[in-house]
Parts: sequence; C-alpha cells; structure tokens
Amino acid sequence: MKVEIPEELQEILEEFLVEAEEILENLDQDLVDLESNPEDKELLNKIFRGMHTLKGGAGFLNLTPIVEIAHRIEDIFNKLRNDEMTLTPEIMDVILEGIDKLKEALQMLKDSQELPDMEEIEELLSRLDAVLKGESPVSTASSEGSREESGSQEGEIEFVDGISDKLKELILQYPDKDLAGILEEIILMPPDKRPMDVIPEIEKLIEEGKDVKDLIKKKEAPPQEKKEKEKRETLEEQTASQKAVSSKSSSSASSKPKAVAKKTEKKSSETIRVDVERVENLMNLVGEIVLDRNRILRVTQDVEKECRTEAVEKLVEAVTSLDRTVSDLQVAVMKLRMQPIKKIFSKFPRLVRDLARKLNKKVQLIIEGEDTELDRSILDKLEDPLIHLVRNALDHGIEPPEERVAKGKPEVGTIRLFAYHEGDHIVVGIQDDGRGIDPEKVKKKALEKGLITPEQAAQMSDKEAYELIFLPGFSTADKVSDVSGRGVGMDVVASTIHSLRGSIEIDSEPGRGTTILLKLPLTVAIIRTLMLGCNGQVYAVPLHSVVEIVRYQEDQVKEVGSFRSFMLRDEVLPLFSLNELLEVPDNNEKAFVVIVKVGEKLIAVSIEKLFGEEEIVIKSLGELLSDIPGIAGATIAGDGRVVLILDLNSLLSDYRTKLIGVKR
Amino acid sequence: MSEEVKEKERSVLGVEELIGEVHEKEVQVIAFRLNEELVGVPIEQIIEITNNRDLTPVPKAPSFVIGVMNLRGKIVPVINLKEHLRIPYQIPDDIYQRNKIVILETPKGEVGVIVDEIVGSVKFPESDILPEPIGTIGIDVKFISGVVQLDRELLILLNVESIFNQEE
Repeated sequence: MKVEIPEELQEILEEFLVEAEEILENLDQDLVDLESNPEDKELLNKIFRGMHTLKGGAGFLNLTPIVEIAHRIEDIFNKLRNDEMTLTPEIMDVILEGIDKLKEALQMLKDSQELPDMEEIEELLSRLDAVLKGESPVSTASSEGSREESGSQEGEIEFVDGISDKLKELILQYPDKDLAGILEEIILMPPDKRPMDVIPEIEKLIEEGKDVKDLIKKKEAPPQEKKEKEKRETLEEQTASQKAVSSKSSSSASSKPKAVAKKTEKKSSETIRVDVERVENLMNLVGEIVLDRNRILRVTQDVEKECRTEAVEKLVEAVTSLDRTVSDLQVAVMKLRMQPIKKIFSKFPRLVRDLARKLNKKVQLIIEGEDTELDRSILDKLEDPLIHLVRNALDHGIEPPEERVAKGKPEVGTIRLFAYHEGDHIVVGIQDDGRGIDPEKVKKKALEKGLITPEQAAQMSDKEAYELIFLPGFSTADKVSDVSGRGVGMDVVASTIHSLRGSIEIDSEPGRGTTILLKLPLTVAIIRTLMLGCNGQVYAVPLHSVVEIVRYQEDQVKEVGSFRSFMLRDEVLPLFSLNELLEVPDNNEKAFVVIVKVGEKLIAVSIEKLFGEEEIVIKSLGELLSDIPGIAGATIAGDGRVVLILDLNSLLSDYRTKLIGVKR
Repeated sequence: MSEEVKEKERSVLGVEELIGEVHEKEVQVIAFRLNEELVGVPIEQIIEITNNRDLTPVPKAPSFVIGVMNLRGKIVPVINLKEHLRIPYQIPDDIYQRNKIVILETPKGEVGVIVDEIVGSVKFPESDILPEPIGTIGIDVKFISGVVQLDRELLILLNVESIFNQEE
C-alpha cells in the first residue's frame, strides 16, 4: 500500500518516524523488563503512553495500519494498567508480534513510503482483539493471589519532605539499595531513560551524609540487610534478587499511589532534537561571521586613524561590542557539539560485568570524570576503540581469581576508566591492575610474525615494544578467545585514534598492570596550529605534531651523503627542508627548524619563516583535491586568504616513498 | 519581447548582455574567451563570476590546479581550464592576483576556472544549437555539447559534466 504524504506534511512525517523509532526502541527494553516484572504500574503506564503517542502521530498522518495496531495495543495496556487484565506469556506473545509488525511497517514507510496492506494485518488485529476481549487463557486466581501476597508483604512507605517524586520512584524501585547503589542503577540505565535531573539531588544527599533510611518514615521497613553486603556480591546476585525485589516495589508503588503522585513538579528535560547537519551549517555560518568581523575590525581601525569624529567613535564602540558577541557566539556554537563522555562510559558497567562473568574473572569497574565533555564527532568514533581496549584489559590483563590470589593481589581485579582535560585536549584512559605487558614477550611475538628484525628488537626500548601491539596482525594472548578477537583490533584502535588527530600512550609494568592513555583533541573542527612561511606562502601545521622549535644554525647541519642531519643537543636527527617536502623552489634561507614526532622518531624540518600560533577551523579542500598527500585541509585566515594545513607525518612518509621508490 | 531586450540593456551577474534574440525555448549562457575561442557555459551551471581574489597555490597538486580560493567561507579549487581542455596556454606571472574566475557547479563540487575575458550573457533558442562543431576548433569534441553560430562568430558550448568527470 503506497502512502501519499503531501509535501507540507513531509517534515511532520520525518519527525514522526524519529519519534516512533525511539518509542519502539525503548519499548523493547521495557517489555523485557515487564516480563520479569509484570505488575510494574510505572512501566505499564510508560508503554501505554508510548503507544498513545504513536497512535496519535500515525492518525494525524493517516497511516491507518499503524493506527489500528497501535490502538489495540494501547487498549490492551490500558486494561493491564487498570488491573482489568493480567499479563500472561500468551498475551505477551501477541503484543510482541504486534510490535514487530509496527516496526516492520515503520521500516517500510521509511524505505519506500509504503505500508502493509490492511488484509495483511487483519489476522494480527483479530488476535489482538481476542486478547482485548479476554479470550486468551488467563489464570486470574493465581495472579490475584500472588499480588495480594506481595502487596501484604510490603510496608507503608512515606517520605520525608523535599524529596523529588522521581527519587521516590527510584527508592521504591530499588528498595534494598542505598543512595550510592541507586546512583549506580541510574548510570546503568540506557542514556535516554536516565533521569538526569535526579543525579545532582542524590549526589547532594550523599554529600550531606544522608541515605535512604533518612528519607523515609516507615512503619514497616523494607529489607535493608543486603545493603551491608559488598558491592560486587550485589552485582552478581542482582539479576536474581532484582526480580523478587522489584515486583515487591512495584506493588508497593501501586498500593501507595498517593506517595508517588503527590506534588508532581516534574522537571521535564528541556531538550530538543536537532539534525547534526544543521549544527554543522550553523558552525560554518558562525565561521563566516568571525571572518567578517575581523574584516570590519580592520576597516574600523583604518577609519579611526583617518578621521576622528563622534560618529566614528560610536562605530568603534559598536564594533567592539560586536566583537565580544561574536566571540561568545563562537564558543556557544562550539558547545552545541560538546557532549559528556558519560554517553559512552555508561555502557561499560554492563559490558564489564557480562564479560567478567563469561571469563570467570572478578572485576570491579571504576569510572572517573564521566562529565568531561568532548566533540560529538570524536565521541561517536571513540566508542569502539574503548570497548576494544576494555575487553583487552579484561581478557589479557586481569588474571583469573586463583592466579591473582597466588600472586598476592586482591582477588578482585580493578579496571579504571577515566577522562580528564589536559590543556587543549582530553585524555581518556584505561588502567588495569592485571599482569601487564611483557616487552620481551611482545618482541618475541613480533619477531615470530616477521614484523620486526632481530636487530630492531635488540635496540628497541620498552615503550617502542609496547607500540608493536598496534601493528596489524598482532595478538599476545596465548589462546585466542572470542572476547578480544584475533589481534585485528589494536591496529584499528590506533588508526581510529590517529584519524582523530589523537595519540596513544602505553605504560605497563609486568605483574602490576597496564595503563593506556588516549590523548584526543577537544574538537575536530578547531585545532591549534603553528603558522609557517615557505616560498612566500603561509602554511599551518597542527601543533600536536610539533615537539619543539629551534633556531636554524648552519653549524648544526651535517651532510651525510645526499642526506642532511641536524644536531639537536646530543641527538642527530634527519633534516629535511619544508621546500623539498612540498616540492617548491628553495632559496636556502632557513630561519627555524621544527622538530616533529613521527611515530617514536624525531625528525627535523627546516622552514623559512615562523608566524606563531593560531587557532584555526579546518575546512576540506573539496573533492577535486581530496587526496593530495601531506595536505590535511585548509583554513581561512583573518585576511580572507586560504591557508593550507600540512600533515607533516604523511608529507614525510610520502617523501620517503618517493626517495626509496617503495611504500614501507 | 525582442523590442525590450536590446543590446547591453539587461545585466546578468553584473555583466552585459549581448544578443537580444529571444524565442520560445531559449538557452542562456555566459560567454567568455579562452585564447581566441568564444566559449559558453549554461547559466544554470554558473555560481558566480569573480575577479581579483587571492589564490593560494597548492603544492603537489595536479598541474592544472592553480590554487584554492575562499568563496564565502568555502574552499574552492581554481583550475587552468585551458590545460584541462588541452589547448595552448601561458600562465602569466601575476596569475594569483589578476584574473577572472568563473565558479562552476560541477560533479566534483564547486570549481573555479580561469578565463581570459568575460564576454557576456548570450541568449538563443535551443534549436540554434548545432550538435557538431563546424570547422576546426582547438577543443576536443568530447568536452563540447554543441556550437552556436552567432552574428559574427562561433560560440562553443562546454560540457561541464564531461570536463570534470574525466579520470585524472
């Protein structure tokens, strides 16, 4: 069935699709929760509301098949939440089938603007109808009994004043957790369901030294002994205990609706969904304004020099104010793209727990600095490398409990995942207290695989040896497991980080553990660069690749055959001139030498002029010039001219390729 | 209609309009000179005409790339169209300062081409386009979508798609 959506409703359709997808995505998790927890009124309400929204949106757009299915599912949940019906696995099957059909229909709508025909869904609709009429077998007696039982078990809970409803719900949901435990639960929730507004409240309460028992006046206390148990035990037992616990909590919520529904001052999170493209567009426009502002500033200065009248003075005043506003605007737009790293860190507690159980290891995960913000485009690309590194830490780093005990280490291993700002970049790190990396073992392995020569191995420092694990086709685990793969990952991790203009540092002590630090720029759009002059042109070189700058002195240059080298203190570095790297005329008037780090090696590059540091916005050179070796992009300088951004790393490797005639 | 549209009366993109022949289905091109040839590009494929913009040379780029320029915050490559079309050319010393650049919409994005002189905007009925080039012209036939005989000379219509789709 083809759907005709008029032009003016297209935008609404797109919004509907996004919203519907989100609802259905959440629904999956909710329904799984509901199965283990069929009486949870909160959950039932949520699903009901979701279906209602879906139905409303679809109705507006005249998407009849979706309306019909959603309407029936909504009705079923309406009955469920009003206790007119009890959820059985049979009912659940039909509901799930309906949800699957909804998903299918939405996918069709998205791909080809089509919907399933009504005949196709008729059978499903009639089954949903049957459920609605209560025709499926429902064992009312038993469920009634169990509900009463659990209801009577639960004591009355009344909260002290000044606690938000959201927090009350959470306390009811996790009755045997203390505040820290609840906080942990919140962090474990999927980000879109996480009640962010409660977190500061809980943190404040913890700071004040309060705990759950201080917040509730209770006539009959919920079981609290478990609270004293050690965290990791709770973690292990959680799935089992949670089932029992949360069914209790949900019925307590329904038996005391007053406690929850009182004084609802819900702070809805004030966010809107914005297409990334629009933000990019905004960034570009702001970049334009910044350049125009610079031009206006210059012209105003000239005008000021030439004539000093009252009007000019006012102009200067206005321009100064414009200058400030534009700077603020620039920062504000940059911030639009910043997101806390929590977005990806929050996935790790579950990942680590699942993995630890799978590998029979005991691990606790410590997360620090999850509020550190970084550019969204970096964040998106960081997730896979981090998952890989954490998996590696668990699989190769942390020893099995027996081995740890034998070594005199605590039985439970620790993995620390942290992030912090350092200057103009952020550092994301993974630290484990496992067995560490043995440099000799790494070298041996690399030799076996033919990745290095014996001479290289002999000269290699430990740090250099650690870097070997980032070479393609390297794996140090004695046995290959399905957890951290076959060594195809680390090189991908390294190339991802490098593509973000970041760097990786490994530090390891055999027997004590490994720390891997990823240094990343705050944003990919703006970088700090060094402005250089060469052959009358200005070039920008990203500052992160520059180690130091020294004056060019003839007596420090040595000719070695056709190559030159540069003496930096007591080190001899290969020396190239930027002119020869760029293949432009060279008049041999050098003023400075820039020391660049390529991998673990330092290389000297001589330049003619040095203009200093500048922050620039990277722009692409366009498709026609997309693959010129050594040129990473371009930027527009204050005077409106285009300045090319050099990638010295690839410039040097390209030059080497040309010299040797082969790729390394 | 042809009464109103007299020579040099209307201006399109700030350049003078030359020919006043208007018919039912008309094509409008911007005409410019490459050496002695009069060539034209349909106005739909032209983004703007600019001059005296600073060009930044790009080292290690293909030789037909003269440089890149800043077009309202976008970086646009500027190429030597003559070299690209394989017709004789000389690059004047002051090419980075003095030039007329026509910015074209191409399959490879916006690209500027350097031309010797902007002649103006030309309108003619679509039926005037002759599929084959007449006589000998210096440009490869595959880069041409047709020719038009104007009053005094021949206008060569360039095929922007084929020019920028060739593999370098």
